[in-house]
Amino acid sequence: MSQRVHNCVIPTDRHLDVEEHVWAKVDDDGVVTIGMTDIAQSLAKKFLHAHLKGPGTEVEKGKSVATVESSKYVGPVKTPVGGEIVESNEGVGDDASLINRSPYEDGWIAKIEADNLDDDLEGTLMGDEAVEAYREVIEGHDQLEECEHIEGSDLE
Amino acid sequence: MTDDTALILQTHGTDQPNRTYAPLFYAMTAEAMELDTTMWFTMDGTSQMAKGAAEEVQIDTSTDVTLRTMIDRALDAGVKLTVCHQSMELFDLGEDDIIEDAEIVGAASIIDLALDADMVMYF
Repeated sequence: MSQRVHNCVIPTDRHLDVEEHVWAKVDDDGVVTIGMTDIAQSLAKKFLHAHLKGPGTEVEKGKSVATVESSKYVGPVKTPVGGEIVESNEGVGDDASLINRSPYEDGWIAKIEADNLDDDLEGTLMGDEAVEAYREVIEGHDQLEECEHIEGSDLE
Repeated sequence: MTDDTALILQTHGTDQPNRTYAPLFYAMTAEAMELDTTMWFTMDGTSQMAKGAAEEVQIDTSTDVTLRTMIDRALDAGVKLTVCHQSMELFDLGEDDIIEDAEIVGAASIIDLALDADMVMYF
């Protein structure tokens, strides 16, 4: 479930941290899957490397679960929730461009067993509220007119 | 943030644009990996910290990315910039000639930083 704004796919079925360009989806078993948004992968261009923190690592809300690099960008993937990483995406570790091709499905970054889920998710947005917040970000951004999707993207 | 610190020394100046990008990129990477990162500009590297100089260095000729762009990105990422006071004098640069984002420090301070750093890189 998603909407498209300036060719940027914005999911409406998960929590978004619009400022940090990450999403969090609470799975049926309560584990939270974290990933980067379409806007993030468009801004960074093709990711070349991803350095993921491994299972068992404790992370605080707002801290890094991975470092991602493109030729133009390097930065942390900041988790919206604190807790223990129970799984990190080896596929992304092997091929970071998976984040570009499938930011919301195969290109997830980490799965976290959250310590304080409800409190940590405060401040994130869902649904139409998230879409409108992101619309404002996209339209105000001086480096992004519309999202671009690389060959093989599941967003096209 | 971990407790780890990184120190990256840059001795190349604006006359070698190809040698300006990577150290800043490594500094941003170290910060992204939660190392408390400081860059130390010394010798010819001092020229990168002169007011107005970085804006004139074209990093990517296909875009408008300059050395100043990269310095700003590094600052946004949390990288601290320091510049060698002794080198400034060799290049006839006063405190007012250095960008405000950089801290001017002496040699003893950088020795301290190097002793305390968990990782030191030299360029």
